[in-house]
Amino acid sequence: MTPAEFREAFRSWLAGVDLDASPVQSGSVAVLLAHQRRLQRLLYDADLMRWGWPESVGGLGGSPVLRAVLGEELTSRGLVHTTTWTMLEVLGPAVIAYGRPGVVTEIFPRLLRGDETWCQGFSEPEAGSDLGSLRTTARRAGDGDSWVINGEKLWTSFAHGASRCVVLARTGPAGSGSRGISAFLVDMDTPGISARPLQTMADVDEFCATSFTDVVVPADRLLGDVDGGWRVAGHILGCERGAIFWQRGAWLGHHLAALLPLATDARSQALVGDAFQLLWTFRARSMATQRQIAAGAVPGAETSVDKIMIAAAEQAVFDTARELLAGAIETGDTPEAAAWRREWFYSRAATIYGGTSEIQKDIVSLRLLGLPRGGR
Amino acid sequence: MGTAPEPQAGRGGKRGQRMDAAGSEMDAEGLALLTATLDQLARAHDGAELTKALDDFGFPEVLATSPREAASSLFTAMGQAGTTSAAFQDVLIGNASGRLLGPDAGEAQSIVLPPVGAATAGRVDAGSITLRGLILGQRTNVGPLLVPADSADGVVWVRLPADLPAERLAIRSVAGLDPALMMAEVTATGPADVVLGGPAADQAWRAVVAAGRRALAYQIVGAVTAMLDLAVTHARDRVQFGQPIGAFQAVRHRLADAYVAREGAAAALDICWEADDEELAAMLAKSLAGRAARIAATQCQQVLAGIGFTAEHPFHRYLARALVLDQLLGSATDLPAQIGARLAAAGTLPRLADL
Repeated sequence: MTPAEFREAFRSWLAGVDLDASPVQSGSVAVLLAHQRRLQRLLYDADLMRWGWPESVGGLGGSPVLRAVLGEELTSRGLVHTTTWTMLEVLGPAVIAYGRPGVVTEIFPRLLRGDETWCQGFSEPEAGSDLGSLRTTARRAGDGDSWVINGEKLWTSFAHGASRCVVLARTGPAGSGSRGISAFLVDMDTPGISARPLQTMADVDEFCATSFTDVVVPADRLLGDVDGGWRVAGHILGCERGAIFWQRGAWLGHHLAALLPLATDARSQALVGDAFQLLWTFRARSMATQRQIAAGAVPGAETSVDKIMIAAAEQAVFDTARELLAGAIETGDTPEAAAWRREWFYSRAATIYGGTSEIQKDIVSLRLLGLPRGGR
Repeated sequence: MGTAPEPQAGRGGKRGQRMDAAGSEMDAEGLALLTATLDQLARAHDGAELTKALDDFGFPEVLATSPREAASSLFTAMGQAGTTSAAFQDVLIGNASGRLLGPDAGEAQSIVLPPVGAATAGRVDAGSITLRGLILGQRTNVGPLLVPADSADGVVWVRLPADLPAERLAIRSVAGLDPALMMAEVTATGPADVVLGGPAADQAWRAVVAAGRRALAYQIVGAVTAMLDLAVTHARDRVQFGQPIGAFQAVRHRLADAYVAREGAAAALDICWEADDEELAAMLAKSLAGRAARIAATQCQQVLAGIGFTAEHPFHRYLARALVLDQLLGSATDLPAQIGARLAAAGTLPRLADL
């Protein structure tokens, strides 16, 4: 299956399906997730959801680029919200790479089919960019056949709608930094877990404060090695720069295209042109990254450049929207205005989530430019 | 989107016959050798000397058979080395229609660019031309000039023999900000010998502009690389307050900004060669290159601080070159509005290229 064939298959499927994409405009996570699951099931039944994933976990094989194509086809038409589509790609590849085969083969098809949503428990109140300082602990219990997790996670997207969570917890002694961390795949219905949505300025109830109190996790839910969680986390963050960035760029294009009818004067056109060139430069860069991934490479520090670029493009696109919509974001009360408002506010976080732009610039300057590490 | 120009004669005009499919596919080893040779020439020579070395090497022919590799290698290398040549004219001529080059094909023709901020170089009314334009990459042996001009019927091409009397044609060598750049200002008036009009003239002009923008963008990106290299080296070597200044995050992040802008412009250039809309892709690459030059100029100048402000330090030469090249065929200030207007007229955004 080539990307071109796959795109063709998707488009002919789309032509014959009656799809209501209006839930994508909703600010309710419950509505967004229900839409995502329904769509995934349709795609799964049409086999489109399975291409690009290994056959061993219920996929149909083929290049991971096929998943980037699927994401692009969906988000460029606004058929799915970019953030709900993202979660599958964030966690799926790492769970396949580091999960115990028996566990993965059982649950992965459920993820693909839309039966389940997963979430990612990384950040904590005292561990944001400095993830190595996390305090959540996992202690061996029983005869070593289980772990007990205790701690608080923050910014856990979709935790209140999720069936499972990839949790990073300290298995080494306090002060062991990034070397004493392990990753676990935890069932969210385990006793001791509670997820409370946070109110954000974006008026989206996506993020949660998630607490773990004496949560018992079977040993076969360890991902990778004991104290090997840093590698799993690195893998997950690396995956973000692949198919996820590609579909997010398409999502931004979908929004910028919607503004074109409003670009009727030179000032508006200059704003659109500038936002588009930032989106274009990101997409051109990301295309090279997608091709590396297709060729089997695991991109490293150089994708910090992609991250800086997509954040700049995202903010430029929605700043342009704020200008061209002429007051809709500030004074509009229609559902459309509310949706633009949410996206504009969400875009403020583009330089924060997934590693701030400052962290990315550190990576660029230290690892790509070879500048010295230092104090201030 | 506007229709992409049909393949132009330059990829098959008199200066380099179009190769058959097999012939145009240079193997990887051949390409590596080509790239290395052009890089070496661009570093070893400058100006008329480099022009001669490139002519001896057969650059126009190489450009015809491997346009991407030839243009990207040479112009990036010239940008980085701070050198220049008349090869820019080879790129313009190579992308002009064979009908335009006509009887003079093979002579040292020059295509006249619009002055800074203008869309075309001249105006033709009632058979008479008024011209004020710029030549970049002027050869010492001046041949006939080809001038894109506005007219009541759109763009037309006018041929001006170089030996017209002084009251009709003046060619002034431009010093300006960057005297080494081989630029000339051309002014002319009088009867216009229109050699190409109609849709073909417009098409030829669009192809020439796209090719020119790509070449300029490569040269600018090369200059940005040079600025960045100078600043990174300085940030590693210069010690203040007991540590290399590059260890200060405020300094490091400035250089990261310049690096990211450079990478973005380079990626936009890469995509030019497979984008559905060649013209738009070239506008974007030129705009992003100019943008990268402005970011790098600001950030690298600040990091280079006092030494970078002296005449003995090479920084200012790259700065001057980038500033001048940014202004030709649309600057980073002008192009975003033109890009936006084009997108608004089309009503859709192009999808870059398919994965």
